[in-house]
Amino acid sequence: MKAPERQAERLPEWMRSIRFRYTLMYSGVLFGLAALVVAALYLILSMSLHGELFGAAQTFCDAFGHCHQVDVFTGRQFEALVHARTLEKLRTLSFDALVVLFFASFAVGWVIAGRVLAPIGRITAVARDIQATDLSRRIRLPGPEDELKQLADTFDAMLARLDAAFAAQQRFVADASHELRNPLAIIRTNIDVAMSDPNADPEELRQAIVVVRRASERMARLVDDLLALARREMPTFEREPVDLGQAVGEASEEFLVPAETRGIVLDRAIAPGVVVIGDRDALKRAVANLLENAVRLGPAGSRIRLAVGSERGRAWVAVSDEGPGIVSDDQAHVFDRFWRADKGRSRADGGTGLGLAIVRQIAQTHGGEVQLQSRLGVGSTFTIWLPVAELPAEPSPRATSATARRQ
Amino acid sequence: MRVLVVEDEADLANAIARGLRREGYAVDVAYDGDEALDKATVNAYDVLCLDLNLPGTDGIEVCRRVRAEQDRGGADPPRVLMLTARDGTRDRVIGLDEGADDYLVKPFDFDELKARIRALLRRDAGRSGAVIQVGDLELDSARHEARRAGRSLPLTPKEFSLLRYFMARAGHVLSQEDLLEHVWDENADPFTNTVRVTVMTLRRKLADAGEGQPIETVVGRGYRLRAEP
Repeated sequence: MKAPERQAERLPEWMRSIRFRYTLMYSGVLFGLAALVVAALYLILSMSLHGELFGAAQTFCDAFGHCHQVDVFTGRQFEALVHARTLEKLRTLSFDALVVLFFASFAVGWVIAGRVLAPIGRITAVARDIQATDLSRRIRLPGPEDELKQLADTFDAMLARLDAAFAAQQRFVADASHELRNPLAIIRTNIDVAMSDPNADPEELRQAIVVVRRASERMARLVDDLLALARREMPTFEREPVDLGQAVGEASEEFLVPAETRGIVLDRAIAPGVVVIGDRDALKRAVANLLENAVRLGPAGSRIRLAVGSERGRAWVAVSDEGPGIVSDDQAHVFDRFWRADKGRSRADGGTGLGLAIVRQIAQTHGGEVQLQSRLGVGSTFTIWLPVAELPAEPSPRATSATARRQ
Repeated sequence: MRVLVVEDEADLANAIARGLRREGYAVDVAYDGDEALDKATVNAYDVLCLDLNLPGTDGIEVCRRVRAEQDRGGADPPRVLMLTARDGTRDRVIGLDEGADDYLVKPFDFDELKARIRALLRRDAGRSGAVIQVGDLELDSARHEARRAGRSLPLTPKEFSLLRYFMARAGHVLSQEDLLEHVWDENADPFTNTVRVTVMTLRRKLADAGEGQPIETVVGRGYRLRAEP
């Protein structure tokens, strides 16, 4: 800290140093006050001394009635002389004292400013260092719970949050690259092996092509999901009134056929007139992701219930399946990216591991949340809660009739 | 040479197996860690192609257990080539520390995989090039060529792998069981005379190409490739 400050004093921008400005202010105020006090003292003293000087001329009368002007001139002259000398001495001394005070106040101000600002220097140094090295370091300012300690603690808390966010981001990138590399490896190796055999029969080549196609479809799905996640991290989605029942109804249409082929019944109980503010496509996507899981995991002959409703100012969409269910220990993790309930199930079954993470993100960006109730062997129910739009009553009936027509 | 491919992505495992079989390796496939451990306990593999990220018992654990098993049993441990989709240094260090001999990041070039497996097998033989020489026999596993006294031998992939195994263990007596274990995969029927027949055809091709027979029969014990002519 010393070197840049000494340098700063020579440079035109030396005034930028808070320490210098603080010192200047401190010494200026101190000097000004001291000068005022000294000047006031001097004035009062000199005035009172002069008053006595003039009042000393008196006339005295003796017992015979003869009045004389007492010759006190020598005394007054003497007194005035003493006073003048004293005042002069006081002047010089005051002036000397003020000069000394000027420098002393500057020096003391400089030292005090340095002491007060030292923790800031420390905070700056650590913050600068952390930029260059890693986010795991903390300032950990010692001392009492004062303003600067609070500042340092605020910094530390911010660093902790940054550290966690950064670690999560890194983990996400590592997971994403892992998930993308597996299908890439499948494509690459199948092509390499097929190409290196000059006598490969058409059936073998066809097989390789089928495998490559499967892997590339999986990659396309994964890239879609990754982009969906990345896009929704930016708060730039549409904000418009959405008839939730209508959107959910549309989202469920495309699952009617896949559910039927798997022998699953899809029940829909959609309450009309539930309107929320948000992105219609995003909300449809969230419901589609839940339905996709339900259809994929539900056993043949089972039932999926899809319902929309509202309750005490909150709208909800629930998807309930009769699938395998989720162990309670795992329920907290199902919304994590790339989390797999069954470690033995590979990605080849069609899930990207991002579906539920996307659902949660969509719910959260709409100011809502997603909940899970699940029992092993019985099934799972995912519920998305969203704030109901506070709209004038006018558009509501139209939305209701639209939903009614759809049903 | 016998290879176990351990990989949970069936599409990848099967492609690797197909490619390696064409190179003359005897290849088995395991789709998870537990299956890999079962197979590695029963069969003697020369190389394990092991995916790090496996369902059930993961690759690191398989590697550790295979090593521990071999330490107790005293048999030749298989060389382990780790395959992984993670390229972080940490994963690599863990893999190598737990006994992997080499490391390949997905997606990889299949030629590189073959070259690395050859390199691992050469470490066994204590040689440094792709070409092995025993007497007047010369075997180039990279080009898939075998020569005797400069003359090219027209070998089938199985005969080629058999000769490679003999040459990697020149001077050792190898029983029919040894050969079945290391040159044939788990689909070979141990009760047929496939080993005897393949050795016979190999010997005939060797005899046609040069003077004398380098593979001799050790009565009651097996076969031996003479280290010196």
